Amino acid sequence: MKMLKTFTAWASVTLAIFVLQTMTSNAQTPKLADDEIASVAVVANKGDIGFAQIAQKKSKNAEILKFAHTMASDHQAVIDQAVALVTKLKVTPKDNAVSKKMVADNAKTQKMLNSKSAKDFDKAYIDNEVAYHKAVINAVETILIPQAQNAELKGLLQQVVPTLKAHLQHAEMVQTEISK
Amino acid sequence: MMSIRTFGGNALVLVFPLIILAGCSTTPTPEKYKPKTFTIEIYQMKFQPALLTVHKGDTVEWVNKDIVSHDVTQVPNNLWSSSNLLPGKSWKMAVEETDDYYCSIHVVMVGKLIVE
Ligand SMILES: [Cu+2]
Repeated sequence: MKMLKTFTAWASVTLAIFVLQTMTSNAQTPKLADDEIASVAVVANKGDIGFAQIAQKKSKNAEILKFAHTMASDHQAVIDQAVALVTKLKVTPKDNAVSKKMVADNAKTQKMLNSKSAKDFDKAYIDNEVAYHKAVINAVETILIPQAQNAELKGLLQQVVPTLKAHLQHAEMVQTEISK
Repeated sequence: MMSIRTFGGNALVLVFPLIILAGCSTTPTPEKYKPKTFTIEIYQMKFQPALLTVHKGDTVEWVNKDIVSHDVTQVPNNLWSSSNLLPGKSWKMAVEETDDYYCSIHVVMVGKLIVE
């Protein structure tokens, strides 16, 4: 039982790290055009809203619920900004290898979270939030910002980084809090 | 010794009214403090400046220049709060005492007001 728990925690973290590695390893750093970057940005934000919605259904912990509420509203605010910008720029977000991989990985994470017992859910959720935000920050800083061509798109991505970093710090705080 | 002291005393008696008169003409009663207004920008998930020193009665206005909502809430007792501040919105308050505050939406965002 202990081994299984350790394994699932390990698996959720590894999943996010895998995204990070596939997205940042030198051999296969993907080259993305602005419409593809927009798609990755929207998918990454939608992913975290999906996780938050599961938390809002499954958790009873006040700290987790508060954190999930912040995630849902902040990531929706970022999506709204991104949609407003691409509409203005007349760009249509375009699926690509990175966004497709993220969609698939996020679906697996959702499945994992949904399968958790009430007792194990909070830890699984917050561990994944820490790992997911680390992976997304890395992707935004090393792929999306450097490759963005349009100055406004680059600017929006740069504005999102402090938000993601505050989320990561917040997640780490909750992680420490619930492990007590 | 005695004569010098007496002289000194007389001199003071003469000089004192002059000082008082001079004082009256240049500075009437001490000026009443005019409260100031300070602005704290909420930008890139920080209160800027995070530490602000004011006088009692000064007004502080927080302006949300971020892309997400924030709030300004006293800690640890929730004595005052802006409630939800959408991007572009602002909130102001007359400061009564030294207080710590945070954003209750993003608990890692903290600030402090010092009343001197
Ligand atoms: Cu905030």
